[in-house]
Amino acid sequence: MKNSIFFLLCILCVGYHNLAQSQDLLKTLEQEYPDTPQYEIATFKSTRIAIGHSVENRRKGVLQIMAMNRYWNVPNHDGQTFIADKWSARIALEYGISNRLSTGFGWTTFEDVYDGFLKYNLIRQRKNSKKSLFSVTLFQNASYRSESNGRSAVYGGFEDTSFQDRLAFTSQVLIARKFTPQFSAQISPTYIHRGASLADEDPNNHFAVGIGGRYKLGGHVSIVSEYYYVANPIKSVDTFGAFALGVNWELSDIMLQFHMTNAWSTVEDVFILQTPNNFNFQDGNFTFGFTATFALHLSQKNP
Amino acid sequence: MNKILIQLFLIFNLISSDSVSDQVITRQGQVSFFSYTSVENIEAKNNQVLSIIDLSKQEIAISMLMNAFIFKKSLMHEHFNESYIESDLYPKATFQGNFIDFDPSIEGSQTRFVKGTLTIRNISKEIEIKTNIENVDGKFLITGDFELVVKDFEIKIPPILRPNIAKVISVKFRFEYQPYEE
Repeated sequence: MKNSIFFLLCILCVGYHNLAQSQDLLKTLEQEYPDTPQYEIATFKSTRIAIGHSVENRRKGVLQIMAMNRYWNVPNHDGQTFIADKWSARIALEYGISNRLSTGFGWTTFEDVYDGFLKYNLIRQRKNSKKSLFSVTLFQNASYRSESNGRSAVYGGFEDTSFQDRLAFTSQVLIARKFTPQFSAQISPTYIHRGASLADEDPNNHFAVGIGGRYKLGGHVSIVSEYYYVANPIKSVDTFGAFALGVNWELSDIMLQFHMTNAWSTVEDVFILQTPNNFNFQDGNFTFGFTATFALHLSQKNP
Repeated sequence: MNKILIQLFLIFNLISSDSVSDQVITRQGQVSFFSYTSVENIEAKNNQVLSIIDLSKQEIAISMLMNAFIFKKSLMHEHFNESYIESDLYPKATFQGNFIDFDPSIEGSQTRFVKGTLTIRNISKEIEIKTNIENVDGKFLITGDFELVVKDFEIKIPPILRPNIAKVISVKFRFEYQPYEE
């Protein structure tokens, strides 16, 4: 009797032993995953949220061809323009030097501004980790206004202004977080230095902050919004914070961004500081923006 | 009598602890997929696929991270993860199955079927895959290919991009196993 109990115990032990081993093979694999950090991708779908830069860079070897357009009406205009009275466009090439560093050059028809920028992705947000909760990208641009007979408060607007007077520099620290697969938000402290002003009372150094966000509606469509607040705006002219509300639509290598905004220009220092109209649906204020982006992969990996 | 029982117990334990070394694993398994259409060809490869086989039970399990697939174009990687597979929500693809009439003791190559469940985007599908198993001195190499229907995994493709993505994706795999030690 005693023996048989012992025997039973033995069997049970062996049985249990086998049971412990036959645990799910998939669970075993689950523990075999290496502990390499996983990073969030596509906090925003484009290098622009709507009008301003996002934390996103183009990857190494990708050339981005961009056309940013703005259309608006002039109040009480009696001309016969097609669809919109005024049109402004920025044509630009942007290139990914490495996965973290990108550069770009563009030309804007509005006030004839040339701009160039460097953008460096300092910190990437990690997935499922308490470390590195945000993505941080540094942005620096320089712009030059070649138009001589304008009345822009940014650059002075005099024909005899020197080269330095026509320059403006924008520095931004872009901080963003992908909160959920759908929702991302960004805050962008901005410092702008302008070479010269129209009036002496206008400061040459400005501080601004931008906030922006996107919500993904589906695999290819997201809605975006952005607003810039300027702490010390230009005094000689009434200006308003630039606002945009739009839709991003992505198809393969093409990205189309449509937005309603009050910003006429597409160059950072101009639209952040120099938006002379508020956002509403009156003629002269309401601006329709349309950005088309095409990504060309100049270098391709061999999978 | 007791002695015999104790001996029996020890033998049983030995046998069962033997089966631990009956497991083989790979951490660098390769899985690639191809989509050929007249508009564009898409191919991607994952070199970090995990797989384990229990030789005595003839069971196999495979697990991989979807964002570890490498594409020719970096944007394809983003679109694959963001727009189609949604790897934020469903980070892994897994397979769990059994070999049919697989004899681990046969040296050289043998062709066997594996029957099991493939799970992508939390959607499970029963599949049967023909594999080639090569056994060289107890080192197992398993290769094969099979086809998947995109529609089965409820992957949303906008009508305008439907010509770009094949309806049936061909998948290839290659796993080189090593003895598994816990």
